[in-house]
Order: sequence, then structure tokens, then C-alpha cells
Amino acid sequence: MTDVSEFESYFQVIRDIQRAVHTRNSVKEVLEVVVTKSTQILNAKGALIRILNKDTHQFEVRVACGMGEQYLSKGPVSTDKLIADPRNLHKVIQIRDIWNAPRVEYPQNAWNEGIRMMLDVPLAVENQLVGLIRIYLEKAREFSDSELDFIVTIAEQCAGIIERVQLLENQQAHFTHIATHVDKLSSLGRMAAGVAHEINNPLAGILLFSSSMSKKVPVEGPLQDGLQIIIRETQRCKTIIQGLLDFSRNSKPHTTKADLNVIMRNSIAVVENEFHLKHVHMDSRLSDRMVKTLLDENQIMQVFINILLNALHASERDGHVTVKNHLDERLRTVGMSISDNGCGITPDILEKIFEPFFSTRSQGTGLGMAVSYGIVKNHQGTIKAYSELGRGTRFVVEFPITDDVPIEKEFDETQTHSGH
Amino acid sequence: MKPKRILVIDDEGVIGDACRVVLSEKGHQVVHCLTGMDGLKAIRTGSFDVILLDMKLADIDGMEILQDLQKKQPHPCVIVMTGYATISNAVEAMKLGAADYLAKPFTDDELISTVEIVCMQRQQGKLT
Repeated sequence: MTDVSEFESYFQVIRDIQRAVHTRNSVKEVLEVVVTKSTQILNAKGALIRILNKDTHQFEVRVACGMGEQYLSKGPVSTDKLIADPRNLHKVIQIRDIWNAPRVEYPQNAWNEGIRMMLDVPLAVENQLVGLIRIYLEKAREFSDSELDFIVTIAEQCAGIIERVQLLENQQAHFTHIATHVDKLSSLGRMAAGVAHEINNPLAGILLFSSSMSKKVPVEGPLQDGLQIIIRETQRCKTIIQGLLDFSRNSKPHTTKADLNVIMRNSIAVVENEFHLKHVHMDSRLSDRMVKTLLDENQIMQVFINILLNALHASERDGHVTVKNHLDERLRTVGMSISDNGCGITPDILEKIFEPFFSTRSQGTGLGMAVSYGIVKNHQGTIKAYSELGRGTRFVVEFPITDDVPIEKEFDETQTHSGH
Repeated sequence: MKPKRILVIDDEGVIGDACRVVLSEKGHQVVHCLTGMDGLKAIRTGSFDVILLDMKLADIDGMEILQDLQKKQPHPCVIVMTGYATISNAVEAMKLGAADYLAKPFTDDELISTVEIVCMQRQQGKLT
């Protein structure tokens, strides 16, 4: 027989759990409320919640109440014993014979703790078992339908909470990762600017003295050769530092309406010879499906050349570098992908690829990709690198289409134009 | 070209030395000040045709010196030197009265021609 007050207390427990969801931060804290309240209301000795660790395929105790340390220290429970029949996912499993139930892994310890009956309630998210609530009772007894209903409701709530909080935690971790990365890039940029300024002063001294000296030594000969090397290398330092300053300065691009295809063709024209020399094939698959958007042509060309040269350096003789464009009407973006079938990049290097001074080539300044990253960012665009070791790397650069460009109309015009 | 009196204000000794070597070979007279304060003092007491001014000094901002110089009549031609080479820096310095701009590092030819051009422009009355 259930009376009204019993319902009220069930309702109170559900409310407590709901409140915990809204005010507590971690899954653990919410689940602690669940086990404590369930133990109380069912007059149980204790309860625990095991959550499936997807990596180890074991059910690990996340929270417990009322049970002795000795029992809890038994460690995780392997999956196969607990894998529930999908038909039973939303049912309470009553274990009266704890000595012979296959689900009970440590009957002796349970018995020693004074346990005489157990209830198992699967926690399911989209029909997948994600965990389990186990309730321990010191006396075997019958459970009314409303009690069982209550337990199932709690389990369903619990499963929902776990799903939501885990999703949130995953997102949080993801955002923290991105935030740290962005922060690292910008602070490196700031530091680089300071370093650049300090280095320009000694460079000015070197360049002034060496260029002045070169006029005092014979026009030909080892002295002149040496001085010319000093002058040339100092100028090279100047170029590197200029790149650094460009990267850190976040200089606003001077944009005009431009066609990514045209920019890409011009970029390819610049590097074509080098591809030819290294026997790497360039497959340019640029479709006419493209609209113009606001871009700084010089800057974007710099980005494309950087990526193309990176692809070339990663490629072996007879390798292929493929260039494709894309237009996303729904997201209103245009983009280019540059892929190679070269050596590929390991995940730890891929993470650092846009950091200034990061280079895997002895001749590299480690600024090309950092500067490219800055340029694309200043265009409100995105630049991403995907890679698989031994299979190749793909860079995808995307830019937003300016609001005043009607995609269909512009697209038609482009088509008509290309038809001539 | 007639020898000029040139003041270099830069807190890096090597810049002053290098400028002296390069410019004195062309017959110019070079004075070097290592701080903004010394620079201002030199400007008040001496007379210079050209000032090579570093924009980033430890004690005074180069822009401040530039503004101060405009009060002096006739004020010398100022060539701004900086490690931060941007168009906006140059525009800002020009607005404050700088005659030209040298991005560090620069060669002896760049230094000499910049000095000669501003002096010529001054002579022709293009620079005030």
C-alpha cells in the first residue's frame, strides 16, 4: 500500500536531484545526491553508482554511500557480467540470492557487510548501458510497483544527467584547449614583436658597417665576397623579422572584392617552376562555382604560396599536390583545400604548426604558417590542417562571403563569364 | 653637397657609431646622444640641419621629441628611425613633422640618400 506521504517523499527526492543538477558543477556531486537520497528513502544500507569507462570497458565506482571501504576497494567490475539485455534496460533487477547471482562479483564481501538483497538499475542513454545504480539492503523484502517505478524514474534522470554533464565536460575541455591554443599564439606573437624590435637595432649596426665597408675593399675578392654575404644575410634577417611583425601586428587587410580562383592561379604560377624542378605534380581542380568576396589579394596569395610550398616540401619525387575549391551556399563561405600525398604530420607536430618559430625544416624560419594563420584570422576566415602519417596532409582555408554578395546571381555571372 | 650638422638620437651606441662612420665620410659632422634628455639638450644648445631620431627611447617617447622640435624655428629636418616598420607609424611620424623615415636595419646608401634627399628638399623649400 502506498500512501500520499510516500509519494510526496519520492517527489521530494526527485526534486532534490533536479536542484542538484542546477546548482552542482560536477557529475560526481549530483550523483552523490542521488545515492544518498535513494538510500534514505528505500531504507537501504547503501547504494553506489558505477559508470562505464569507455576506454577500459569496465564499470568503475563513481560515487557510493553506506558501504564499507573494504567492499568499495574491490575495484572496477568487468563489462560482460553486467551487459544488460536491451529489454531489461528500463527495469529494476532484484537480486535475492546474492551467493549465486552471476551479477554479484564479490558475494562474500557483500555478505560480510550484512547485505542480504541487492537491486540493480541500469542507466541507459539511447538504449546503451552507460552505468548502473546498485542498491544494498540488509533485509530481503518485496517492492511495490510504485517503489520500482520510483527507482526506474531516478535511474532515467540519472542517465540523462550523466549524458548532459559529460557532454558539457567534453565541450568545456574542448573550449579550454582552443582557448589555451589561441592565447599561446597571441602571446608568442607579442613576444616575437618585442624580440624583433630588439634585434633590429644590432642588425642596423651590422648592415651599416658592412655596407659601408664593402665600398672600401676591392670590388672583387674574398673580402668583398665575405661582406656581401654579411649584407645579404642581414637583409634576410630583416625579412624574417618583418614577417614576425606582420604576424604580431594583426595588420588589417586592404580588401577588395576578389576571386579565390584567380588568387590561387596566380599563386600556382609563382611556385610552378619549383614543383617542376622537384618532379611533383600539381593537380589544379578549380571549378567555376565560385563567388567573389572581400580579400586582400596579396596577403591571401602569401598564404596560398606558403601552403603550396609546405605541400611541395612534404612531397616525394612524383608526388601529387591537389588543389580544389569549394563554395558553401548555406554557410556562405568560399574556400580552398590543398592536399598532398607526402609524408604527413604527426599529431603533436600538427598541433604546433601555426605557432611562430615552429619549423621542421632546417632552412625554415617557422614563420610561414604563423603569418598565414594571422592573415586568415584577420579576414575572419579559418585555416585548418588535417594529416595522416604516411598518407599526406590537407590544408583547408575558408573565408566568409561578404553579406552583399548574392550567391546565385554572382554565381550565374561567373558562369556566363567563364563561358566566353 | 655642403657638409651638414647631423644629430643622432638613439640609445644604441652601435647606431650612433655606424651613422658617424658612414656620414662623416661624406663630410658631414655627426653628434650622437644616447638619451632623449641629452638629445633635447643638444637641440636647445646647438644647431643641426638633420636629426636622426629613434622612436623608441628609454626615457622619452620619440613622438614627444618630434612635437617639441616643431616649436624650434627654423626646426631641423627630422628622419625617424624605428624597428617597427609600418605604414601607420610612418604616417604618424610624418604628421608630426618628420621629413622622412628609415626602417631598421638600413644600408649606408639608404642612410646617405635619405639624408641628402631631405636636405635637398629643404633647400628647394619643399620642406618647412
